[in-house]
Amino acid sequence: MTAIARAASGATVLVVAVCLGVASAVAAPSGVVHYVLDQSKSTLEYTFTQAGAQNKGRFTRFPVTFDFSPDDLGASRLDVTVDIGSLDTGDQERNDTLRSDDLFAVAKYPQAHFIATQFVKTPAGFEAVGKLTIRNLTHDMRVPFTFRTATENGAAVGYMSGKTTLRRLDYGVGQGDWKATDQVGNDVGVSFALRLTAH
Amino acid sequence: MALLNTTRRWGAVAQLLHWLIVALIIVQVTLAALADEVPPGLRKLTLLARHKSVGITILMLAILRLLWRWNNPTPDLPPTLKPYERRLAQFTHAMLYILLFAMPLSGWMMSSARGFPVSWFGFFQLPDLVPKSKPLYEALLTTHATLACVLGAVVVLHVAGALKHHYVLRDDVLRRMLPFTHSTREPEA
Repeated sequence: MTAIARAASGATVLVVAVCLGVASAVAAPSGVVHYVLDQSKSTLEYTFTQAGAQNKGRFTRFPVTFDFSPDDLGASRLDVTVDIGSLDTGDQERNDTLRSDDLFAVAKYPQAHFIATQFVKTPAGFEAVGKLTIRNLTHDMRVPFTFRTATENGAAVGYMSGKTTLRRLDYGVGQGDWKATDQVGNDVGVSFALRLTAH
Repeated sequence: MALLNTTRRWGAVAQLLHWLIVALIIVQVTLAALADEVPPGLRKLTLLARHKSVGITILMLAILRLLWRWNNPTPDLPPTLKPYERRLAQFTHAMLYILLFAMPLSGWMMSSARGFPVSWFGFFQLPDLVPKSKPLYEALLTTHATLACVLGAVVVLHVAGALKHHYVLRDDVLRRMLPFTHSTREPEA
């Protein structure tokens, strides 16, 4: 194959990929189902070490769109927007502290994003490979998850769950004093159990 | 100095436990006062974490102390005491023991009710004693603070009693809780 032919074939793949991407965003192509989050029946929780003890919290607003087919992972895409202001650790004072400038700086960075465009089949389920952005800092992130579908009252739904760990300081969640990790650990466990409805 | 108590004198173990707890209570009051002054933030979190760890340490030492007391003779109170003085001394000591348990336990419960699990210096995490509840937390906060004031009052009584024995009655009640002193002699005339 000549260089020109190779470039042309590369361009074709690119064009097809872009078209698929656009198509999946507008109307999911055959096979890929367009899911959106059922917020009231979904959880996004995190665990963290505070003063040597395990503590946990959750977000209550985190819109998700998920275009997915186990048989067409190449056309699948996951888009999660976390409304950081919706964080709740069960303690008003702690919530306010977490929203403050030295931690999530909600006023400046109201949302976190996870966008995955690559999916890998694993023995336990799948892995979403994408990019997580918090406080405008973006890092690659792999999120293992399981997915199952069901029909409830005649409607197609998907259940997606999984957990992973991230380091808060990679995303600047902890400025000034809060860069220290002896009282508030760097590792944060994240777990999710989502109910998604097909549209 | 003997490790064990006799009917005349506190042994080294009892003395160590007594003075160690005195030192830790001073640390506790200091940490609590400092934590009260700083705004919510990492410094407050750190101070309160230490306060909780030290409190749990005192609770553990109090358990050891009570076990040691039950398995050892207790030095007698001087026979010269009037019945009301005897009762006052017994009441004060009983209150001190009760508070050595009530202070850390109310603090631990308060932390559980707040939803902040307690850890001992980060080495291990303690179970929550009560479920998370805002009204319960507020009640326990009041309890913990009130008990701290009661402890302060009882300590004043305890110290006043010890000083009266030493300087007014000139007996060996204080000296027998002090290391490096001899109290085998009869009180000086």
